[in-house]
Amino acid sequence: MENVKTYSEEELVLLLKQQSRDAFNYLYKNYAGVLYGVITKVVTDEHTANDVLQEAFVKIWNNIKMYDAAKGRLYTWMLNLARNTAIDKLRSKGEIMKGKIQMGETDVSNSGNTRKTEISTDAIGLRKIVSGLRPEYEVIVDMAYFKGYTLDEISKTLNVPLGTVKTRMRSAMQQLRGEFSN
Amino acid sequence: MDIAAYIESGNLEAFVLGILPETEMAQVQAYIARYPELAKEAAAIEDALLNIAMAEAVTPPPEMKDKIWGAIQAKATPHLEISDKEAAEKQGALILPLSPNMRHTRFSQAAVWAALVGSLALNTMFWYQNSQQKKESLAMNTRMDSMQNNQQKLLAVVDNYTKGKNMMADNDMQTIVMHTVLKGHPMAATLYWSKDKAEAYVMMDGLPEPPKGMQYQLWVMQDGKPVDMGVLPNTMANTALIQKVGKPVGRGEAFAISLEKEGGVPSPTMENIYVMGKS
Repeated sequence: MENVKTYSEEELVLLLKQQSRDAFNYLYKNYAGVLYGVITKVVTDEHTANDVLQEAFVKIWNNIKMYDAAKGRLYTWMLNLARNTAIDKLRSKGEIMKGKIQMGETDVSNSGNTRKTEISTDAIGLRKIVSGLRPEYEVIVDMAYFKGYTLDEISKTLNVPLGTVKTRMRSAMQQLRGEFSN
Repeated sequence: MDIAAYIESGNLEAFVLGILPETEMAQVQAYIARYPELAKEAAAIEDALLNIAMAEAVTPPPEMKDKIWGAIQAKATPHLEISDKEAAEKQGALILPLSPNMRHTRFSQAAVWAALVGSLALNTMFWYQNSQQKKESLAMNTRMDSMQNNQQKLLAVVDNYTKGKNMMADNDMQTIVMHTVLKGHPMAATLYWSKDKAEAYVMMDGLPEPPKGMQYQLWVMQDGKPVDMGVLPNTMANTALIQKVGKPVGRGEAFAISLEKEGGVPSPTMENIYVMGKS
């Protein structure tokens, strides 16, 4: 019965604040796949990805009061939260640090290959598309989106002015927008 | 504000991704609230990211749903009261029935431990605070002492200068500089003499500290004969301290200081007269 229900974001926020089982069911049904997709772009080990998904849901559940609609949509908030949780996990495992040392010629497909357990889906689809971008865009999207570098860190690591990092990121996003707008 | 240029700057993308510093996030948010064109573009970027995310959705392993719900429950239940059994059951939490007895023992044990640990912690904290305060107050006392010492010294100096100033201001005050009488030994002392009042003050800033067991003695020459004016404290030697001469001195042709054995002598040892000055 509840499967056919659809909630607006405002309704869902209210529902989540009530912390009911229904709210969880709805949240999981509609968002788990998207969040898991984002997470598996960052951490490719399945076991770790599962942990991150769980952590992300618990955070959403416990911090829903902190969500501020003026700052963006619930969806965006959840996507960023999931991505940041994944990046934190990656950093705590030291993988980012390794990557940082090798930085300068981030090879997206390589970094994928070095990980042991690949998730057998088209998880690398986005990475593939990103790797089709111009190299100077690709590296920025990779660092910002998949590895969680701050703009400042990207600017310093690549030795590119902060303003250029931002405009390149916009160009990359424009291109991706084109690719994904059905 | 150039809206088009702002859009091209890439700030909105960074904002949507949440990767700007806190202050800039707030700034972009304010711009978005103010300029509808920016809000529209930001929404388009959000859409794009959502589209990408949806296109890339991956179904989690089926067991994850229950696992996550369990984790949420585990984190959500601790605030429940023990007595709130019904509510806990509604939430689907596992309730272990405890016999009243067991419950009692466990809770009282736990309470005792908690109290003990708490009290130990407090004791340690207070002991530490106390010892810190003692240390601090000791240090403070030492500082106060040294400040008081310094103050007394300064007061003495000021007092001395005041005396000196008053003396100088006295028109009748005569200054007699006593010069060395020992060749090759540059020494000097000063005597301030108010003949009318029969008062004299002496300063031994140009005399070395006397050796142990010796003391300076002041003489006034009256009718060619030295008259004892008293011994001078050793602490005055080589300082600018001024001391009033203990005996009245209404007349005299000259003043002299000799080094004598401690306590003084009735008549000066001639070869030990260090300085002399005529009035």
